[in-house]
Amino acid sequence: MCDHCLKHGTAGKWYLNAKNYSNEIVEEYNLQEFLQEQYKNFEQIAVRKVAGFSGVGLGYKIQMPIIGRVVKHFAEQMLHSTKPPTDPFKAEGHIGQVVPLDDAISILEHCAVEPIIQKYCMCRYMHRGEKDACCINFGVMSEIIEKLPRFIPVDEKFQLTREEAIERFKEHNKKGYIGTIWYGPYPYINNLCSCANPECAGIRPRLDFGINSIYKAEYVVDIEPDQCQGCKSCISKCQFNAIEFDPIKKQSFVDLTKCYGCGVCLHACKYDAMRIYPRKDFPELKGIY
Amino acid sequence: MGKKTKIKIDYSICGDGNEIDPRECLKCLKVCEPALFLLHESFGVEEENPYDPQIWRVTPLYPSLCTRCMKCVDSCPGKAIQVTW
Repeated sequence: MCDHCLKHGTAGKWYLNAKNYSNEIVEEYNLQEFLQEQYKNFEQIAVRKVAGFSGVGLGYKIQMPIIGRVVKHFAEQMLHSTKPPTDPFKAEGHIGQVVPLDDAISILEHCAVEPIIQKYCMCRYMHRGEKDACCINFGVMSEIIEKLPRFIPVDEKFQLTREEAIERFKEHNKKGYIGTIWYGPYPYINNLCSCANPECAGIRPRLDFGINSIYKAEYVVDIEPDQCQGCKSCISKCQFNAIEFDPIKKQSFVDLTKCYGCGVCLHACKYDAMRIYPRKDFPELKGIY
Repeated sequence: MGKKTKIKIDYSICGDGNEIDPRECLKCLKVCEPALFLLHESFGVEEENPYDPQIWRVTPLYPSLCTRCMKCVDSCPGKAIQVTW
């Protein structure tokens, strides 16, 4: 179990604890106004200065000897903050975790608070100029997004039933988009994303700059050597470079330490050789999230 | 490692309500392999409806990821992007 599950999972996973989705949390932390202010100018967050630093040129800042470590420390402190959020222009308490298909279905079936909507993913729009309705929102967040025309899908139904939301998530997952669930801000869960590297503004800080912005899933994927025919179709699906090809055995294998457990490679395998296991079953992965 | 890559955008040509509206063009965002550009609402602009901002600009957010392929420079219709190192 990751840190968040131990604290907020009531003996399970943090994102399967329905309490973290409830409207009571929104009232307790006064999040309605906060989120409205934050999403009004969401695309600006990365370029706004926080404590004298902005995200512009982050890669070069991180490479600097001492300043790099300070920047990384403050960025992680902000993202992992568990204090009531104060500044809507900071991504405070905005931490997420990779979720495979089955857990995402459980979230949508049991935890997500209605109304459920799909919206144009802001990350894909602000980094790639693409309007792709691959983001699913719940509860108060849905009501806020409805007021912001640029996120509302055109010529497409955006208010979804639970079943429709599950169908949409399945489609994205098959396409190779990684499912991620987000606090926004802590301890309120309102976002189930399906996105890809490098557009996802949540995955990128970790992959490119080593900032711990997202946890690996509670799962890990492994390949059954008896069934793998070495077709390599899973390799191109993996966005974390966790699957490699062994030219001697003529088979693919998973580097478990690199695997994020998103499970999108499972859709690619024609020979049913890929299996998803709970991360805790692998003692060598203890504490690696 | 070599020298840092510098990416400059001339905002008198693109964005901030000038000649080219980046939201209609989007060429640099689409050609950039590492997707290092960021399209965002311009700062300090009076918007008629703050829920639907109309004045946008592009910021080269992560120049460290630049592969120096120059596709953004070639695709920019207003020749507003400069990449140097």
